[in-house]
Amino acid sequence: MSVEWIKSHWTLLVPLLMGALALAWMMPRQGKPRPIAAGLMGLAAVGCAGFFLLKPGPEMVESALFFLFAGTAIVAAGLMITSHNPVYAALWFALVTLSVCGLFLLQSAPFLSAATIIVYAGAIIVTFVFVIMLARQSGAAFYDQSSEQPTWATFASFLLLGGMLVCLGDWRGQSGSDGGMGGGMLKVPAVWQDRELNPNPLSTLPDTEAGVKAAGTMRGLGRSLFGDYLFAVEIAGTLLMVATIGSVAIAPRRAQGGL
Amino acid sequence: MHPLLITLLTIGGVLGGTLGACSYLIYIERKLAAFIQDRVGPNRVGPFGLLQPIADGLKFLLKEDVIPAHVDKFLFILSPAISVFTTLLAFSVVPFGAASKDGIFPWIIAPQVDLGIVFIFAVSSLAVYGVILGGWASNNKYSALGSLRASAQVISYEIPLGMSVLGIALLGGTLNLEEVIKVQATGLAGWNFWYQPLACLIFFIAALAESNRLPFDLSECEQELIGGYHTEYGALKFALFFLAEYTHVITISFLTVILYFGGWHFPWFATAASNYAGAEFVKFGVLLFKVLSVIILIMFIRWTIPRFRFDQLMGLAWKVLIPLATANVVLTMVVREFDLNRWWLTVGSFVLFLTAGFLAIDPLGRSRATKRRRPAAAVPVAGGHHAH
Repeated sequence: MSVEWIKSHWTLLVPLLMGALALAWMMPRQGKPRPIAAGLMGLAAVGCAGFFLLKPGPEMVESALFFLFAGTAIVAAGLMITSHNPVYAALWFALVTLSVCGLFLLQSAPFLSAATIIVYAGAIIVTFVFVIMLARQSGAAFYDQSSEQPTWATFASFLLLGGMLVCLGDWRGQSGSDGGMGGGMLKVPAVWQDRELNPNPLSTLPDTEAGVKAAGTMRGLGRSLFGDYLFAVEIAGTLLMVATIGSVAIAPRRAQGGL
Repeated sequence: MHPLLITLLTIGGVLGGTLGACSYLIYIERKLAAFIQDRVGPNRVGPFGLLQPIADGLKFLLKEDVIPAHVDKFLFILSPAISVFTTLLAFSVVPFGAASKDGIFPWIIAPQVDLGIVFIFAVSSLAVYGVILGGWASNNKYSALGSLRASAQVISYEIPLGMSVLGIALLGGTLNLEEVIKVQATGLAGWNFWYQPLACLIFFIAALAESNRLPFDLSECEQELIGGYHTEYGALKFALFFLAEYTHVITISFLTVILYFGGWHFPWFATAASNYAGAEFVKFGVLLFKVLSVIILIMFIRWTIPRFRFDQLMGLAWKVLIPLATANVVLTMVVREFDLNRWWLTVGSFVLFLTAGFLAIDPLGRSRATKRRRPAAAVPVAGGHHAH
């Protein structure tokens, strides 16, 4: 790893290091907790990352909303894994899901966003909360008070995150949109810029701006799902059906009584 | 005027209107209950007791705001807020008049939301957090049990609620509530109710269960149990839970009218073509009249049908409403696919309804529910009558 490389990538490395430090401090562990210092460090890391790595887009409201949703998602995700109380962790997870749904909305995918809210926030996380409530009813257990290997976990996760961001930055730089890392992650997805990679090979949506907009509506999405990707959808549906029948078959029956 | 200003005005109007309507709906409900039970009802505050809602509101405000010592304080305060927030947010895509871009007033908070009804389902699927967190944060096992019961009910009835609306999406080709009304505004025969009567019934039942109204108020049991998930709540926080329930009643009444009864449409004076002076206000009035009728119907149901037992409640959702809703979707698909006359839907709905009715009866004349009654239930009472 040369000094040159560090020099050219310092805008990426500084927020990553700060974030890793904040997360390592916030992990529940034995010893003196440092919530305020860790929180400030974490906020600074998110702020730095936003400042260095992202350029606000031309639309002011859209950029503001993007930063709001993205920031909330990251902060809530951090709080989710560092929370002492499992119920709070599940609720932070719900907040992460809601923020990501906001990002979907900004990318004009309203149906995906609503479906994610219904499935994740409305059903799956509710099931988590159910299980947590029923499984552990009084006080926090000892294994909730400290996390296993917090330092190594933080190190590994930020190594992965850093690797992903470096690859993404290099890839953005090569595709030559407008210059390296700052090249606007707020842009229209690359799929639409690349004419050869047509996401709707069969349906008759025109390859114009109106056609792109129509793809975001329920009508366009339905046509694409049940036209272009009919077999994939049916196979996924069959898989879910088999899983449902299997879970009903495996679940133990009560000896007597209804309900 | 600036669009942002108009939107803010609309939000303010809807908020004020809903809150005011809630307090006076409670007054109407109490008067109706008194009428049915041969009582007088509230008559002390103001003429005919008309100022009673204001007195009730003041009482909620001025009561001591007790937060028990053993609760999880943050979630305890958050859960009524979630309840109110989700029910009010669902109202943002509900048109309360003939929504149009060029009128003086939009008659809807968020116009042209393509998702429409899916947005409402998404938002109200979050309402279960208010229930579940309220019970858990109270740190009281009875509240926790109540919240489990209530959330099982809310989650189960979401499924028939969503499936009953699919037929309308198939018929009209849209989920946008403004468009759904426009599709129906072709005449009295255009109302979705004629083609989806079974779906309308399923939707109404499931929506009643979603809003925890009698005969589905197991989560509260106002009359004889102390309460459910909100046992530990008092003063304004309890009022917020109640406000959420009443707002939910208003929302489902609006949805029933918009989805199945033509919204603001009424033949002769409130059609798509009527554009005389003040037509917008007439349409607003027509919609409000229909909504009020549905609300009154809900209130009458409260004093007419006794409460379900919990296993009956779950059985109704999973064994009756969901299969019927599925059959209704298949029926609508068949009619749409083979381009049959739409009135076949009406016939088919009645056939489905009667078939379901006959399936529930066995030749001995006993319904299946009584035949399969839990054997354990008879044992404790066998010794004789216990003093209460």
